[in-house]
Amino acid sequence: MTLKADWPVINGPVDPDSEERLFFTEHEWETVEAATARIIPTDQDPGAREARVVVFIDRYLSGIDYVYAAADGSGFLKMSGRYADAWRARMADMQRTYREGLRNLDDVSVLEQGGIFKELSEEGQDRVLEVISGAPKPDKVTLGTKEAVTTFLQGSFDEGLEFFPALCLHTKQGFYGDPVYGGNKEQMGWKFIGFPGPKSLKDTMDGTYSTHEYFMEGEFDWEDLVPQLKVSTFRDAEA
Amino acid sequence: MSITRKPEPVDAIVVGLGANGGTAAKVLSEAGLKTVGFDRGPWLRAHEHYSGDELKFVNRDYMWPDPKMFPRTIRYDENAEAERFPFSPTPQMVGGGTNHWAGWVPRPRESDFMMRSLHGDVDGASLADWPFRYEHLEPYLTKVEWAFGISGIAGADKYEPYRSKGYPSPPLRPTRYGKRFYDACNKMGINAFPIPHAMVTNNHNGREPFNQTSFWNQYGDPSGARSNILTTFIPDALATGNFEVRAESFVREVKLGKDGKATGVIYIDAEGNEVEQDAKVVVLALGAIESSRLMMLSKSSQFPDGLANGSGLLGKNATFHEYLFAVGLFDKDIDEPLNGWTGNYISGGSLEFYETDENRGHIGGCIISASQTCHPVNWVFPGRPSWGDALKDADRNYFNYAMKIGLILHDLPVESNRVDLDPTVKDAFGLPVARITHRPHSNDVAMGKWQVDKNMEILEAAGARKTVPVYLDKMTGNTCHQHGTARMGTDPAKSVLNEWGQAHEVENLFVVDGSGFPTATGVNPTLTMMANAWRCSDYIADVYSKGRKERLVIAN
Ligand SMILES: Cc1cc2nc3c(=O)[nH]c(=O)nc-3n(C[C@H](O)[C@H](O)[C@H](O)COP(=O)(O)OP(=O)(O)OC[C@H]3O[C@@H](n4cnc5c(N)ncnc54)[C@H](O)[C@@H]3O)c2cc1C
Repeated sequence: MTLKADWPVINGPVDPDSEERLFFTEHEWETVEAATARIIPTDQDPGAREARVVVFIDRYLSGIDYVYAAADGSGFLKMSGRYADAWRARMADMQRTYREGLRNLDDVSVLEQGGIFKELSEEGQDRVLEVISGAPKPDKVTLGTKEAVTTFLQGSFDEGLEFFPALCLHTKQGFYGDPVYGGNKEQMGWKFIGFPGPKSLKDTMDGTYSTHEYFMEGEFDWEDLVPQLKVSTFRDAEA
Repeated sequence: MSITRKPEPVDAIVVGLGANGGTAAKVLSEAGLKTVGFDRGPWLRAHEHYSGDELKFVNRDYMWPDPKMFPRTIRYDENAEAERFPFSPTPQMVGGGTNHWAGWVPRPRESDFMMRSLHGDVDGASLADWPFRYEHLEPYLTKVEWAFGISGIAGADKYEPYRSKGYPSPPLRPTRYGKRFYDACNKMGINAFPIPHAMVTNNHNGREPFNQTSFWNQYGDPSGARSNILTTFIPDALATGNFEVRAESFVREVKLGKDGKATGVIYIDAEGNEVEQDAKVVVLALGAIESSRLMMLSKSSQFPDGLANGSGLLGKNATFHEYLFAVGLFDKDIDEPLNGWTGNYISGGSLEFYETDENRGHIGGCIISASQTCHPVNWVFPGRPSWGDALKDADRNYFNYAMKIGLILHDLPVESNRVDLDPTVKDAFGLPVARITHRPHSNDVAMGKWQVDKNMEILEAAGARKTVPVYLDKMTGNTCHQHGTARMGTDPAKSVLNEWGQAHEVENLFVVDGSGFPTATGVNPTLTMMANAWRCSDYIADVYSKGRKERLVIAN
């Protein structure tokens, strides 16, 4: 049994331009490409289609060989033991969710719009997504209003998600995740959102990647930020 | 299954090698006790396994417990059937939560130890005083700050009680949103200061803190910056030659001997074999949910309701500190970018609203802090549209133009808020999982509302053009802070543990995590827990193991 600390590295980084399909059928691939392009559409900036989100989702769903990138981004970790068992079971559920979800997407498309999803107009596709999500297309955020929200967990697992929420989550993951996973081609998701991400995961391990310049600029004095320091008696010996 | 092996007995067993088990392992092995430490999770190597991969660390459970292997259930109503939910999913690996925590480590306040004396009987709550006071913990708070490595500026927190020594490391440079927070607080007369942080910014104890990646909360740190049990106290313990780590080893039972003392534990090793390990002392530090679960799983004819549970209080009075917050949005066309993804999660905070002010309509109070809005996939904007142009616009316009001010809810203990064994759901080992039953006390809801509203005022003073509040409706356990399930106290009828974390009814069983906290405190708890774990471990090494007994008397 290989302990988790010793999981070997397999494969290499995913090629975002790959046309090879590991999980989807050709029809499913084209449908996912069309649907993710409505979740993060292309406008003056690239969207899910250009970032190759479909490649990302296909690799993820293909089994358990693309779940965890190696820390330095050189490939992927080969899981074993109970961890592998748990992921295999989870992935089998997610594969079923996608297969059935995509079939249903076409069924709803035919029923509502008279054609399969990938052949509908963008408006027609949005209408179908409204139906399967059970809610109107989200409104744009406006300033100057107040909406209250209630508590939720940190982190965002996909275990147990239904098709549409899973697709939305995976689209964001494929658009904004590290390029090693296949999406976010040429870091276009990061460039779009204004996140100066690392060139490679390895750069985050050895001090190469620094975000220092994005912190507060210029000289500063703690006494200006914390006026209490001007009156307090206790100060660190070293500070 | 049957026992396949029985290694040589040792002096002490520590179950769970997180913040508190790691502290116990260090103190006991340094005192010369032959100690074996168990963790159900892996023994990773920080410099080799950790990097800035949002999917792996935030969205997939490389560190978070796998919900299929270690499920938990929750119900918000006594009569409801509990549902699977990763409630308070504290990480599982050698080093525990300290592998990927944010690391706010403020000191508790004197009032935290005497909630009952201060407030008496509060309807629906089960307030209790601690069996010791701030002054008893103070030397240990200092020990942890220096041995573990904490950055901060002594004297910056106007309301901090007495401290015997400053900090070993200066704080990090503020972020841009941190600067906004300081400016707004200064405008409002609020004492904002750099919240003490479980990281070092200098070369401390041979550590090299080169991580400036801003991949912090929920991420592992490959450098020596983060104060992580895995890279500090575990190596300290191993260096004594008295300590052994057994990782990927799941402890399923504490065994009780005929003499009423624990004889050791039974665990399942990485290969799936059952192994029995005997020891003179058993120290539990699995986190308050799992420690109480293990005690419940360790039933016997002497303790049919769970080990050392004559009081019937095991699992009860659980508190969880929900994280609540408000987010402020700024205008890209007018305002300077805030770069909410930068920093090491916290950047400036305050305890201005910590002590009770009856005018607010609730008792107690809590810490607040300006904190990171995190990375692109999961950036924290409640109300972020789920798809379409609205999502794309929101990301484009606000990712760099948002800030958040959070709080750690000081929830009151309620006897019926508890952990017990789920009647149907089992973990990967076929054992019943922890079921949480919880309903917030009205004081929790009121405090959350008051403080979130105050945070919105601060955001407005900072120039936010829209604010989004996140109020408490129900607990999700999103802070992974767990306390109260095996209260410490002096009266065996009203508590499970005494003032040394020692079970009243099983003299060689100690629980040194948050289980013993009679009340939750309004600060992030881990510094307090570790100081207490150190204190209790000193007692084990210096008093109990020498065949002596001591009681702590509180002077009035
Ligand atoms: C993302 C995140 C951010 C956090 N930020 C902060 C913060 O800023 N400040 C703060 O004070 N706290 C913070 N916390 C909480 C902090 O991590 C915990 O309070 C702390 O780790 C508790 O220490 P512990 O030793 O009780 O438990 P843990 O550190 O959780 O360690 C318990 C260990 O026991 C092991 N274990 C459990 N069951 C078994 C078993 N049956 N057999 C063997 N081993 C077992 C687990 O694998 C685990 O490693 C954060 C937590 C998370 C997850």
